[in-house]
Amino acid sequence: MKIRTIRYIFKEGFVNSYRNKLMSLASLVIVIASLIVFGVFVLLALIMEHNISLWKEQPQLEAFCYEELDDAQVNRVEEVIKRIDEIKEYEKVDKEQALEKMREKLGENAAILDGYGAEIFPVSFIIRLKDVEASKEVVSKLEKISGIQKVSYSQDTIEVLTRISHWFKLGSSLMVVIFLVVSVFIISNTIKLTVFARRKEINIMKYIGATDWFIRWPFVVEGVIISITGAILAFVISAYGYKAIADKFSQDQFLANAQILSLVDIQDVWGVLALSYVIIAVVVGSIGSFMSIRRHLRV
Amino acid sequence: MRCIGLVELKNVSKTYPNGTVALRDVNLKIDKGEFVFLVGPSGSGKTTLVKLLLKEEDATSGEVYVNGYDVTSMTRYEVPYLRRSLGFVFQDFRLLPNKTVYENVAFAMIITEALPKEIRRQVPMALALVGLSRKANMYPSQLSGGEQQRVALARALVNNPALLIADEPTGNLDPETSWEIMKLLSEVNHRGTTVIVATHEKSIVDEMKKRVVSISKGVIVRDQEKGQYKDEDKNNQIYI
Repeated sequence: MKIRTIRYIFKEGFVNSYRNKLMSLASLVIVIASLIVFGVFVLLALIMEHNISLWKEQPQLEAFCYEELDDAQVNRVEEVIKRIDEIKEYEKVDKEQALEKMREKLGENAAILDGYGAEIFPVSFIIRLKDVEASKEVVSKLEKISGIQKVSYSQDTIEVLTRISHWFKLGSSLMVVIFLVVSVFIISNTIKLTVFARRKEINIMKYIGATDWFIRWPFVVEGVIISITGAILAFVISAYGYKAIADKFSQDQFLANAQILSLVDIQDVWGVLALSYVIIAVVVGSIGSFMSIRRHLRV
Repeated sequence: MRCIGLVELKNVSKTYPNGTVALRDVNLKIDKGEFVFLVGPSGSGKTTLVKLLLKEEDATSGEVYVNGYDVTSMTRYEVPYLRRSLGFVFQDFRLLPNKTVYENVAFAMIITEALPKEIRRQVPMALALVGLSRKANMYPSQLSGGEQQRVALARALVNNPALLIADEPTGNLDPETSWEIMKLLSEVNHRGTTVIVATHEKSIVDEMKKRVVSISKGVIVRDQEKGQYKDEDKNNQIYI
């Protein structure tokens, strides 16, 4: 195919989508809506993923010794912990450090600890596991060690979150697929209308010897133009929307202090978002056009 | 290799899916440079014959050769190339309404991926031939029927086809304008293009004294040099 033909095809595609502005606009809105829905799901999934990995990095287990253990006994406990295979690393928190941590936690109320010594705090071990799956086993091993009073673990929360994230991803993929299929049909319908509006012209082109693809390509270009325009607008809307929400979120002191949720930075995700928008747009646009061309443009 | 004419039909029959027999064992040979009238009443099969030449319909049996193409065994992807080598004129002109006269003619070259330089050279020549140079920038709706048909003729000729096929080219025109078109077709023929005109305009056929192929009920009933549109051709129409 020659360059001037490609230029002709693009020009025709643009002219047609303009000539057909009402339907083009309708398809455009649908494409934008579907892509924004898609974007919201992607962002939510990314945020979940991000937070789960943050939580996973936090200490998974903390084993507390009895307060009254002396150093030798604590060392014996440490020896046993060292020998548990599933443990990746551990950190010993002695009584002084425990007191310090408590002071930090209490902040301006730390004064209530005045008059107490470090001896009221237990020595503890913060443990990270090689594999999260093994946590139950390790907990029962730790609980068997004499000298360990209590094992706390955030594993349940992580597990629940992983499950939720799994189902969320499944559900959102389904929603996204539904929206994309709808977009494909809307675009194919728009192209169908263009084909009908121009069927006389197409017939004439056939008679004077235009090849099938010479007739078809402008319609494909039209569909792709609509969906790419939709992708660009959807990207601008969702990127700015997200940034606005993220800014508000970071200004919220309560949430920022609570540290239970952290948003992903838009700079980290905009590339993924833009790329997936464009890919989806091109795929949706061309599938939509091809579908209606196959059905309504038997040239 | 066998010597075949520019157009050659060998034992061609055409039966439509609904059972209508449109052509029955037709043999026809048209040589380069000829001017042939294809006459016959409506339903005689002459439109079907034209459609076979354009590969708009496929022959049920027999062989069709047009302009060196074996039309019978051609795939649908080759059809555009066959059509580019021909020029067509239709009763209803078939111009693109949102393109100017110039653009309509140029379009026939754009689809063949011709060089812009070629297009700029050929289009004015074709328009000059049909006497429409001054109306190049007008739209089809601003032209009379005769002028529109001349534009269609310019479009058919712009790629310098070896064969021009006109299906009832004067069907929508008044007698005087019809004559203008016929004179143009005749001139095109003098320049070396083979011309086939399907028509039932008795007066024109009689006056032009060209080869006349008369079809009736799907059979060639008469093939005559310098022929006339006989009344018996008309009578067939009545008895059908």
